[in-house]
Amino acid sequence: MDLGLFAQYVMNGLMLGMMYALVAVGFTLFFGVLDVIKFSHGDVVTVGAFTALAAFAGLHQLGFNSPWLDLVVMLVAGMLAMAALGMLIARYLVMPLRSAPALNTLLITLMLGTVLRESVRLFYPQGGNPKPFPALLPRNSIDLGSFNLRLDNVLMLAAGGLVVVGLQFLLNRTKLGLAIRAVAQDEETARTMGINFTAIVLVTFAIGSGLAAFAGVMNGLYYNEINFGIGLYLGVIGFSAAIIGGLGSIYGAILGGFLFAGLQTIGTVLLPFASAYKDVFAFAVVIAIMAWRPTGLIQEKISERV
Amino acid sequence: MNGYEPMAEGAERGEKAPAPLWPGLAALAAATGYLIALLAAENQAFIISLLAAGIAAVLAAAWLRLLDRASRSFMDHEDALAGCAVVAALAVAAYFHEDHFVLLLVITVLLYTVATLGLNIQFGYAGVLNFAGASFFGIGAYTSAVLNAHTAIPHLIVLAFGGVLAALIGSLLLLPVLRTRGHYAAVVTIAFALLFKTFLEVNDVLGGPQGMQVPGMKILGWTFNDNIEIGKISLSFYMNYYVVSLLLLIGAFVVVRRLERSWIGLNLDALRLDETAASCFGLDVVRWKITAFLIGNFLIGIAGALFGMVGSFVAPNNYTFADSLILVSILLLGGIGNPWGLIVATFIVVIVPEKLQTIQEYRFLLYALLVIAVLLFRPEGLLPRPVRRYFPGWRP
Amino acid sequence: MIRTGKIITAGLMAAVLVLAAGAANAKDKVKVGFIGPLTGGVAVNGIGGRNSADLAVKLRNADPKAKYEYELVVLDDECKPNVAVQVATKMAADKDIIAAATHYCSATAIATVDTYHKFGFPVIVWGAVLPDITYRNKYAEVHRVNGTMINQNDANAELISKLGYKTVAVIHDTTDYGKGHNEYFSKALAKIGKAKIVGTFGVTAEQQDFTAELTQIKALNPDVIYFGGLTPIGVRIRSQMDKLGIKAVFDATSGIVSDAYIQGLGPLAEGTLAFREGAPTEKLPGGKFFIEKYNAQKYDNPPEAYGAFAYAAMDMILNTIEKVGPDRKKVIDDLGNVKDRDSIVGKITFDDHGQNTVAVITKYVIQDGKFVEWDESEYASGKRKLPGQK
Repeated sequence: MDLGLFAQYVMNGLMLGMMYALVAVGFTLFFGVLDVIKFSHGDVVTVGAFTALAAFAGLHQLGFNSPWLDLVVMLVAGMLAMAALGMLIARYLVMPLRSAPALNTLLITLMLGTVLRESVRLFYPQGGNPKPFPALLPRNSIDLGSFNLRLDNVLMLAAGGLVVVGLQFLLNRTKLGLAIRAVAQDEETARTMGINFTAIVLVTFAIGSGLAAFAGVMNGLYYNEINFGIGLYLGVIGFSAAIIGGLGSIYGAILGGFLFAGLQTIGTVLLPFASAYKDVFAFAVVIAIMAWRPTGLIQEKISERV
Repeated sequence: MNGYEPMAEGAERGEKAPAPLWPGLAALAAATGYLIALLAAENQAFIISLLAAGIAAVLAAAWLRLLDRASRSFMDHEDALAGCAVVAALAVAAYFHEDHFVLLLVITVLLYTVATLGLNIQFGYAGVLNFAGASFFGIGAYTSAVLNAHTAIPHLIVLAFGGVLAALIGSLLLLPVLRTRGHYAAVVTIAFALLFKTFLEVNDVLGGPQGMQVPGMKILGWTFNDNIEIGKISLSFYMNYYVVSLLLLIGAFVVVRRLERSWIGLNLDALRLDETAASCFGLDVVRWKITAFLIGNFLIGIAGALFGMVGSFVAPNNYTFADSLILVSILLLGGIGNPWGLIVATFIVVIVPEKLQTIQEYRFLLYALLVIAVLLFRPEGLLPRPVRRYFPGWRP
Repeated sequence: MIRTGKIITAGLMAAVLVLAAGAANAKDKVKVGFIGPLTGGVAVNGIGGRNSADLAVKLRNADPKAKYEYELVVLDDECKPNVAVQVATKMAADKDIIAAATHYCSATAIATVDTYHKFGFPVIVWGAVLPDITYRNKYAEVHRVNGTMINQNDANAELISKLGYKTVAVIHDTTDYGKGHNEYFSKALAKIGKAKIVGTFGVTAEQQDFTAELTQIKALNPDVIYFGGLTPIGVRIRSQMDKLGIKAVFDATSGIVSDAYIQGLGPLAEGTLAFREGAPTEKLPGGKFFIEKYNAQKYDNPPEAYGAFAYAAMDMILNTIEKVGPDRKKVIDDLGNVKDRDSIVGKITFDDHGQNTVAVITKYVIQDGKFVEWDESEYASGKRKLPGQK
């Protein structure tokens, strides 16, 4: 395989990995803070993407046509709306069930994901059909041999990287981050230290859901299309990625995201006759990893009260 | 010693006089009549008013404590009432003997109930999460498709094969399922559900996305796919499948009830409620989980094999993760661990959207909302599982 | 007392007479069916077909010479084979529905032929082009008014070879529709012998990401990429081709002849080739009549490429029921003898497999956001050039 083709595969893998990593980070954040898996996270990505699309349509109605303005407004609208949605979900669906068996939360969030997905399909005009997403990033590209390096891919990778770095900065260098990490480590002690538990949980959900909206817009820009089903797929992959990397660890989530994308790319290369097999391959590997390391590659320390 | 009253005969064992039979019979008869009316109705306005009347009647009965009486008589006379339920099912079939579509609907309910009973063993009794129920259903269906079309194996044995294959493929998942808990276990079965559908779609050998036709069932030369004519009465060919499905459901129901009341069921309950304590008492946790998982998948596989023959068509799109979620919703709605609750919930989930054409499009949304409401406000489901009886005649 | 009694009786008799007279004038109701993809990626075609069938029923009900009053029962097959079998079973099991015009998607049409045969339900296909639908079995119940994909792929191979292209990569979807296109195009291209196929790739109908296939295709560097599939993945493949910098000609089939393709791609749609059996709607014998009546009804969607065929199918069903009455067996017998019957798409004759022959193949190229006939386009005259055109 020549270098250009190899570079093309690497680029594809990096793009996918960035999107999965963003979703996986959300899962990990929620788990760390509330010990809960919010299965509807993937569908929040879908809703975020559709909100951004609606914002775009709205902007066009009003006559604004500059791509950069469009992009910024879409991102802001999507992220703010999803932050609000995330907070609502936390407040009314997840927090009341904290004392119930973990199974109930899992089921309720799964069903909530279905509600979000079906709502988009039914209530967004023609939601059942795939919708073209505007190509707002510059389309220049350079040809390096048989490798076509596109400016918009580079921009998206850079933006994703910045977001991840920004998140790390937030968590490790600010007071808010300290509070989040404290709550994730030990809820009761954090409360005795004067941290407002509910507020921190809501803020964490807001951050995670905002990230989801960002991932949704990125997905739309990459494929130039969004449809109501992308959330389910991204959600399961993001969840698997978070689990592979070990729940509760941001680095693990990012690692898991790129690992999953890597698995898919390896699958495509090894099985060139049907690229859909890449999903079969990747999921099979996930199941195998779960059999080998039941709590992910980075072991989670569990203690059980008997 | 003042105020000491001698206890009634058998009272130290908690025995009270058995409840009368008639409340259960009345409830069963009312339900059957209502079902026939609902299935026969065509006019949308009439259907909506019928549904509203039904809900109102149930709420009124609950308020008037009539439901309590009916459930107590069910508990005491379960076998007799189960027999009456079978008679009721045959009555429904007799009423609709010419109507293809209604019979098909009821067959769907019967087979989904069998599948959910399998899921119940895994989930309700042993606490093993299985989000890939529709995939095992699909394994059974594809087995009947392939075996019916390419081999001459008698079709009843094909059904058993469907179950066996589902159990075998399920055993591939055993290692991850046994080693994981909670949400990690959920990921394993969800990943399998997605993997299975993609695998079927990509694979041309099994028909790919186009699916496969399934030849109809033939037992001892009697072809199931031909309409039956008995003298002047002509019966829809679905009657054949109806009888077989009913027999399957009766078999599965009996097995599940016996299982629950036996020491096997006791072991499963113990290990669901507290694994550590159960293993302290010497229960082999691994062995029971495997048993529950395999038996559950076997039931689901058989139901799938029969359903494949009824529908005469299998395709990957019938067995997606969303379909697995529907089976789980039925389980939650009906009450985890209660087989009667499952029957009621399956009826609601399968028949109401078909009748209410206006909500057909919204049915996934409505199921999900309904399950969320149930989980928030009544996590035990419509018919919660009654407390286990340790002595005959004992009632809480 | 007796007088009141007489008045009441007289009143009752009058009422009965009025009702009887009214009943004598009321026509018997007959139900006919329509199945098409009303939701999902190709919904615009299904809705266009449904509107056209609805137009046929409406025009017939407005005709005072009609013997029956018709009601159209519409079901959605979502372009998915399993849903199609369910709705086909539902419609065929309902003894009140006499006949139906069915299916745009070939994947659904081929899955349901056995169902219609099982229930003895006569259908006329209006949009699906897979030959197997009528030719795999000899079912008396199944007929089709539109053509099959064999002719369009012959014309396709001919044009590609004539334009001097040498290498072709084939992408097709893995339903029987895509596989059919692959089969007939490969045969036609091999028969002409000037171009050769350098790679064949199967993709699933809901696939999102084609970078894997397209990266391999880029390494093969073909002149033409032939696509056998429907609009939603056609849009995705074309746009991802551009992302990877592949500059081949995008050569597709009747599956993308739809405004949704142009809307989905914008300027990228320019220069796409497509083929279709049957003349464009305006040039059909009854085309102007159809378009005029369609627009008068003010439907929300246009009839799309196969609307005229849906109208013709439904119209034939209605004519047959008028002739032999609402009886499924009699309708099947009559549809077995269709020879040179008039319709808006020309004279229809069903061969022994129920297939109509449509001789004309229209060649399209997308020019300036519209489907333009090849011979009238600037690409044919040489003013514009497709990538690699000499």
